[in-house]
Amino acid sequence: MLDLQPQYAVAHHYDELYNPDGTPRTHYEALAKTLGSLGREEILARVQSINTALLQRGVTFTVYADSAGTERVFPFDIIPRILAAEEWGRVERGIKQRVRALNSFIYDVYHGERILREGRMPRELVYSSKNYNREMIGVDVPHDVYIHVSGIDLIRNDGGTFMVLEDNCRTPSGISYVLENRDVLKRGFPDLFNGYAVCPVDDYPGRLLDVLRYVAPRGAAAPNVVLLTPGIYNSAYFEHTLLARRMGIELVEGRDLIVVDNVVFLKTTRGLERVDVIYRRIDDDYLDPLYFKADSALGVTGLMNSYRAGNVTIANAIGTGVGDDKSVYRFVPEMIRFYLDEEPLLENVPTYDCTDDAQRRHVLANLATLVVKNTNASGGYGMLMGPYASAEERERFKDLIATNPRDFIAQPVIQLSSSPTLVEGGMEGRRVDLRPFALYGREVDVPAAALTRVALREGSLVVNSSQGGGSKDTWVLQ
Amino acid sequence: MGSVEFASAGSGVVGGLRRPNFNQMLSRVADSLFWLGRNVERAETIARILDVNYTRAMDLYSQRDGRSEKLWRSVMQCAGFINEPDVAANGRAARDTFGFCAFDEDNSTSIVSAVRIARTNALGVRAEITTEVWELINVLYLYVQEQDSSSVMREGPSPFLRRVRDRAQAFAGISDATMTHGDGWNFIQVGRYLERAYMTARIIDAIDVANEPWHESQRMLEMCCASAPFAQASHHAPDARDATAFVVLSENFPRSLRFCTREIDEAMHRISRSPRGTFVIDAERRVGRLRSQLDYASIDDLLSEGVSAFARDLVRQYELLTRDIERAYFPRLPVPA
Repeated sequence: MLDLQPQYAVAHHYDELYNPDGTPRTHYEALAKTLGSLGREEILARVQSINTALLQRGVTFTVYADSAGTERVFPFDIIPRILAAEEWGRVERGIKQRVRALNSFIYDVYHGERILREGRMPRELVYSSKNYNREMIGVDVPHDVYIHVSGIDLIRNDGGTFMVLEDNCRTPSGISYVLENRDVLKRGFPDLFNGYAVCPVDDYPGRLLDVLRYVAPRGAAAPNVVLLTPGIYNSAYFEHTLLARRMGIELVEGRDLIVVDNVVFLKTTRGLERVDVIYRRIDDDYLDPLYFKADSALGVTGLMNSYRAGNVTIANAIGTGVGDDKSVYRFVPEMIRFYLDEEPLLENVPTYDCTDDAQRRHVLANLATLVVKNTNASGGYGMLMGPYASAEERERFKDLIATNPRDFIAQPVIQLSSSPTLVEGGMEGRRVDLRPFALYGREVDVPAAALTRVALREGSLVVNSSQGGGSKDTWVLQ
Repeated sequence: MGSVEFASAGSGVVGGLRRPNFNQMLSRVADSLFWLGRNVERAETIARILDVNYTRAMDLYSQRDGRSEKLWRSVMQCAGFINEPDVAANGRAARDTFGFCAFDEDNSTSIVSAVRIARTNALGVRAEITTEVWELINVLYLYVQEQDSSSVMREGPSPFLRRVRDRAQAFAGISDATMTHGDGWNFIQVGRYLERAYMTARIIDAIDVANEPWHESQRMLEMCCASAPFAQASHHAPDARDATAFVVLSENFPRSLRFCTREIDEAMHRISRSPRGTFVIDAERRVGRLRSQLDYASIDDLLSEGVSAFARDLVRQYELLTRDIERAYFPRLPVPA
């Protein structure tokens, strides 16, 4: 039997399963009971067969740091993370609000800059963002939707309140794990679902396809939608294949496309076929060698001209990265007030601006208690976890911050909530975050398909897959 | 001809389908499916060739009189290495040739290479093939990757070779049963039968049937998986002429050149939708000509210049056919002229 007594101190941070008094939270009671009825050997055997299935299916990601470019299974923890309906409702409303504001902001920075003119945000912050794209000034996109797909990373503070850790408005990934985790858990541990009514996740691809068709340029009755991937060596290639298959759309590489007279075509065995919508999983910089990185072999020559001519929709739109710049992040609550005239439903994590002299001095003096993040990096790369870093690492960041203050922000260390996780010795608490995905077509839609990432190393607060993270099936209760 | 007929594309919008012409596909995808079919077939054929010769080398073709060297040299020839510096010439012929043909990563026709190439192609078209087909290829790849050549040889290679063959044959069944039989599936078929015909022609060329008629004919039949089918069809022990006639001209045996060529022809006409007996691309003209030749010529006509000359011409024809298919369907830049 699994030892279900709390084996971890939950005194200083929020635990998903246990109340502070050590009793299970109401919505975890049935799960705790079922887990307690399964023998340890049986659990381990079933976990083994799940891992084999994931490997055989090819549910893997590529580790870039590894010279062999090894494909690994993204570690899957079988104990689900459960969100009560009411709690999810709050998350959903908060994310809808946030994504609407971010989309308005991106429209605004490329159309008149009202928020800058009215002095609600510093101009230089926007102009200095590496992902602010001058080519997009004055370019109109269908229905003024820029952020068709976003992933908003949430964490809980000590009191259990969800806060936004960061916004991902470019090409957020992870939905394939949501879909696969649910599928393998249902097959491997059907009994865990006893006593629960869990919202399904497999409607996500259909909802995404609805959005992509809605934003087609010509109002065509049957728009041709394709998914553009960098190819089989990309870390998220599995996800690209899964989404393309589930949506029934063509999975294409840059070399499969050609632009003729500002129209994008597929190269097929029967000649050229027009493309209307490109759901791209390639960064802006690689999309068109004429406009961006000239040596990019991943993109399509002439794509930007076609886009600006309104002949093709690119999702997400080009230039959305200005919205998820980590320096712009602290102005999102202000955007919500400015564009929507509402108060933010989800809080931000307090953030220090390193370009402000006083704040930078504070950051440099308190590195040991802060998290420092590169404003343009993602995936857990280029960050400093102050309390856990070596003295040399901290010195290195001091120099980096002093040299390029615009490239860094700092935040207090948030403990993150812990969630019961299967480990060598039984079940222990490991820190988790939550990434709900938002789809924006007619309106913002937040499917009940969120990704929970878990830091598998004891005490670790970093959940990224590249940094020893894993994932859990996430149950939103009906 | 540099590209296919573009005018034939549109057939009106079909209600509910995402695209007006459901059957057109990316050239890159067609290319990958063709080579997926070829490389799975190649892995299977090489595995069978190795199995037949490994077991034969144990008794009849012993080391003493140089027969073993001769046998392994013919294996090298089947694998496409006619003038290699003699891998097979020294005393470790069996082990070296076997390792080269089964496990050598640098040999693009070894089993591990063929499986790796097949898997890379499958990965590139992951969205176009079914989960069942993908998992089959991926599991085969993972299995082959985790094999260690020295322990395979120590324990005897038959279980390994058998597993490769089983999986490769299951590929045909599973793709047949789970994939839509559209252009994609047809490109796999073209690849499979082209590779099969190509390898049968090479096997015919590699074996000198005249030299030791009974044993060599038997070895050739086994390498073509044709031993029992030949016996059933002929009711007599194999002789050189009849054995060759069987693997060249049998109407129903699925590895005969005639059978394979017919399957290539049919699949190519399903892709182009042109009627049998006509052609819209050079590849169809070439395969149609070959098919007619195999349908109507007698074995004595075909072999009038000798078995080897015939087999080499066929090998060449299948190579040219590959080139013609690539030009028609997988051009680097198919812009209408």
